[in-house]
Amino acid sequence: MSTISTQLRNFKEPTKEQQTQLFFALPPDMPRGEKDVELERMECQASLVLSGEEVFAGKLHLLPPYLAFCSLDRKSARFSIPLSTIRRVERLNARAGVYALSLSLYHGMKFVIHITSLRPTADLFCSLLRDALKVELQRGRMKTVKTFVKTCYSEVLVASAENEEKEAEAAKTDDNSSSSESAYLGGLGLKFKFPGDPKKLREASKTKLWTTYLKSHGRNLTLFRYAQCTRLVQVGLPNRLRGEMWETLSGSLYLRYENPDYFENILKENEGRINTATEEIEKDLHRSLPEYSAYQSEEGIASLRKVLQAYSFRNPETGYCQAMNILAAAILIYMSEEQAFWLLEVICDRLLPGYYSPSMHGTLLDQRVFEALVHRCLPILYDHFQQVDVQLSVASLPWFLSLFINSMPMVFAFRIIDCFFCMGPKVLFQVGLAILKINGEDLLQIQDDGGFIQLMREYFSKLGESAHPESSDPRARAITRFQELLLVSFREFAVITDDTIINERRRYRSEIVNSIESFSKRSAVRNLKTLGRFTKEQAGLIYDALFKAICVVPPPATVFPTPALLTTKDGSEERPETRIGLKTFKIFLSEICTWARDERVVTNGVSSRVERNIADHELIDRLFFFWDTSFRGALSFQDLLNGLDGVMFNDLMENIEWFFNLHDKNKDGYLTKDEVLTLSESLLFIFRFEVGDAYLGAVSRFMSNAFEYGDALLPRSDAAEPNDDSPQPQIESNQPYMNLATFRMVVLADEILETFFETDFNSTFKLEPVPLDMPSSNPSVLGSLWSNIASDDNRKFFNIVTDQIGRTIGKHQVYHRPAIGKITSLEEPKARESLLTPTMRHSTSSTSLNTGASDSSTNLATPSVSTSPSLLTVDTPTPKSKISPAEYSPMPTMLQAAANAAAYMERTPFAIDDAKDDEEDTDDESAAEDDGVMDEVDAFLEEHDTGLTDADRELAKDLINAEPV
Amino acid sequence: MADGASGSAERSVQVKLVLLGEAAVGKSSVVLRFVSNEFQANKEPTIGAAFLTQKCRLEDRVLRYEIWDTAGQERFHSLAPMYYRNAQAAVVVYDVTKASSLEKAKTWVKELQRQANPNIVIALAGNKVDLVQSSTAPAAAATSESEDEADDATATPGEAPASGESDSLRQVPREEAEAYAQEAGLLFFETSAKTGEGIVELFTEIAKKIPIDQILASSRGGAGRPGAAGARAGAQEGVNLEENAAKSKDSCNC
Repeated sequence: MSTISTQLRNFKEPTKEQQTQLFFALPPDMPRGEKDVELERMECQASLVLSGEEVFAGKLHLLPPYLAFCSLDRKSARFSIPLSTIRRVERLNARAGVYALSLSLYHGMKFVIHITSLRPTADLFCSLLRDALKVELQRGRMKTVKTFVKTCYSEVLVASAENEEKEAEAAKTDDNSSSSESAYLGGLGLKFKFPGDPKKLREASKTKLWTTYLKSHGRNLTLFRYAQCTRLVQVGLPNRLRGEMWETLSGSLYLRYENPDYFENILKENEGRINTATEEIEKDLHRSLPEYSAYQSEEGIASLRKVLQAYSFRNPETGYCQAMNILAAAILIYMSEEQAFWLLEVICDRLLPGYYSPSMHGTLLDQRVFEALVHRCLPILYDHFQQVDVQLSVASLPWFLSLFINSMPMVFAFRIIDCFFCMGPKVLFQVGLAILKINGEDLLQIQDDGGFIQLMREYFSKLGESAHPESSDPRARAITRFQELLLVSFREFAVITDDTIINERRRYRSEIVNSIESFSKRSAVRNLKTLGRFTKEQAGLIYDALFKAICVVPPPATVFPTPALLTTKDGSEERPETRIGLKTFKIFLSEICTWARDERVVTNGVSSRVERNIADHELIDRLFFFWDTSFRGALSFQDLLNGLDGVMFNDLMENIEWFFNLHDKNKDGYLTKDEVLTLSESLLFIFRFEVGDAYLGAVSRFMSNAFEYGDALLPRSDAAEPNDDSPQPQIESNQPYMNLATFRMVVLADEILETFFETDFNSTFKLEPVPLDMPSSNPSVLGSLWSNIASDDNRKFFNIVTDQIGRTIGKHQVYHRPAIGKITSLEEPKARESLLTPTMRHSTSSTSLNTGASDSSTNLATPSVSTSPSLLTVDTPTPKSKISPAEYSPMPTMLQAAANAAAYMERTPFAIDDAKDDEEDTDDESAAEDDGVMDEVDAFLEEHDTGLTDADRELAKDLINAEPV
Repeated sequence: MADGASGSAERSVQVKLVLLGEAAVGKSSVVLRFVSNEFQANKEPTIGAAFLTQKCRLEDRVLRYEIWDTAGQERFHSLAPMYYRNAQAAVVVYDVTKASSLEKAKTWVKELQRQANPNIVIALAGNKVDLVQSSTAPAAAATSESEDEADDATATPGEAPASGESDSLRQVPREEAEAYAQEAGLLFFETSAKTGEGIVELFTEIAKKIPIDQILASSRGGAGRPGAAGARAGAQEGVNLEENAAKSKDSCNC
């Protein structure tokens, strides 16, 4: 599992408004066009008055483009209707003091609403309603109702019933209903038969009951739901009506109504696209309810493919999860592809959120909730399970994940699904608890998971049998086990309400998220191809830093590779993997590496604190691409670990080499002049907050030395005859210039750089998170008091206030915490004697390089010319860009001065002697001026040198031993 | 035979076995072949895990395999610990025609070795070997693992293609997987749920490697579930059955 999911972290509890929308099964807000006006929502107290003098007190919600109502008890009356189905609104002023509206709907229904809120509220509500209706009218939505409604079977049902009545009256036998029948959408069941025996299911009487209900209480878009509706659903929906009722009850109908043609379009747009999801879908198409005849035919398979693919295109993050195929196959029996597509969306995103996501956190969460409910409602059973170490989820997970479809016979599962769409996800918990309760006695006998599963399997296979076969009462005998199950579910576990589920989910959410995160951390570390030299704990720390960074800047959404790429590559290559971009990388690095962050220590006399920001420099970008060994423009956990492995365990020589390679962009073993300059800038960046100018001096010495050496070691046009006056080859700034050996030599010539590469650089990497606490060097009573009681929110404010105080009392101080922080006081920059100092000390001590260039021999001219631009770059950028803005800097003037000094004074005056002189002097001169360091350097070079040719080495030696002129 | 064995209930030992592996490598088919000697082309994908049992006679003992056949899709991975906890045996299945499935198998093995019972018996099974049957395969098998594969040669379809053209389907060389299995200390088999090749051997060898005596001892001791207790006890005395390899194979009734 190489994907790191932070989507769990980003979860937000739904707002009250969203909860209302959820309750009324309305589609979530869609991004609207610019033209659309943001319409105001409102709710007010109201009563629904029916013609039969029945009155339901409740709340009326205006949620454009919907109007919704729910009675106070939440079950005796509710509706959610699109505004476009409202044909007429009238204000009734029958009695004084009553604010009544009469509405008539598309299906000819008329109802009266009494707004019982105060008059101004009622007025406002009405005017908002008027505005919202106008907008719908302008959008032309009123006209769409007629065509949309034709797709619903209920229309046919009611129309044919009316026809029958007429026919009965007129005693006519003409069959004119067939013309209108063809338009409605239906599922595979129409052709391949619905599961179950229609007689046993009492289809005819159910259909009759529903026809009556739909005729008087509205249908599809305008359905009013009274207690009778729920009761009818609990008895089981008739097969032909089932698909439409699922749509209506779950609210997927509104999605289909609002997004005509969406389903066809998304399939067209993505035609021929192949990705992991479509491949997985393909594998399972023939394995979804294979016993149902439609799925043994190409027609059924094609429908299933369309629905699953369309969903995976619409929601690529979820894509496809096994069990969705079973759901889709099941609902396709009762509804068309388009209907199934929207219903699947409602199931996956709204009713069972997170169930089918890659982390399956919703599933895990609901399993935890279920366990908690069992603990609460069936404590004895729970204790027994604990005792024999049986895990509930082994049996209950598939119940929830596939809505019982592959656990119990389909006819029964569909009845549970009827209730699920009507009453919401709590049904799954209620039924689950009822199953356990009914089997309680037997469950107390089981000893292990296997026994549990087997008992459940037996129970499900006998659901159709009588629950009380021994009973003398024939009516009791007639009750099947399944009826008993529903009875227990909705009677005894009526205490499980929507709110129970919402609250329980909230309670266990963080527990689940944490366990998923620690699981994925463990498996991410375990699945690393190599740990390098890190321990598992260290790899865990790197993972933590990575995770933290991803939380701040999530990685770019995984882009689906083009089909061509997919087919050519091996499947394992395409396994989704979290890879981070440059932006996330910067945050990651700032967690681990001291120079990749800017830390400002602020003291204001009252308190002190550390402010941490992410640094931004070309060096960090360079590192990112340096570690991106597979050139994907993004780094995986493994890449980061490998990268850190390549730098954190280095010794002096390896560090130098690493730094060299980092800047050797084309990997030819040579740095160009430009790259030498970039390298110096990288060093300056790392040293940017060091106290004093020792490091600054070191870098400037490094630069001047680097160019002197580099030039001296340039291959001459004719190496055999150094005496010749042949001009030095001109080297472009982007040509190979300096090899590793030379670089090493230059670095080791400086004590500060040497210690930097030996130990300091390694210690800038710290895997353990460094807390932002101030070292308690300057504890002030008030400050520590505050930091103890302050929360994150008021801390910011506190800081601003104390900063102000600090400024006024002149104690406000800000300094940057250095990356290395070794040198704590200003010291005299102590330069190691350069390898070449003896020479220049005498030869050019009085002449500046520029003048030297003009009056020297031809051989000398080239190096000095090429050196001068480098000097310029030291001079100019150093004080301006590398030093932090003056206002934060504790001693800006001093730094400035130091920088200048470093640039001009500390630079060792240097020149290369004539080749001729070298020739003469080398043989007899012992390296008298060399100190021990020199020998050391020599030894190092001898040991590690690979890049130098013999001639180079010879030349270097000559230079070392050069005799003052 | 299996039913006859159930008479001696007190001697029957429960062994919890879990099947793991990438999606669609044929885990469920392997189980189905073992449990009911059938093969279904289109098996419903496993949601969570399927649970099956099969009795198996090993010498004078009767083993009752409790088989947990898990879902293979990557996202079900986090559910797997629920099924492999307390397992005494695991079969990690890969598909010999799909190189990536061996990689996935390796991560499963790693996970099992770190997270599952310390004494879990793990077998690696390269399934769908029927797709790559060719003349070269039996030769290699004969040298490397003669005792297991010898009488299995009859199972190979008579008209084994002479050329390597069907062999080109193979993405995981037997030698490679076998070397890995040896290095990681796993039992290794190449199987075909379709033809039945290697399936019985797979479960028989696992049975032989399981410390049955300890499971029996611990369950008699009334410690509760045989799984955890047996494994905790630790050593591997029960392997002395191994000598009678050929004999026991026949007696395993599947």
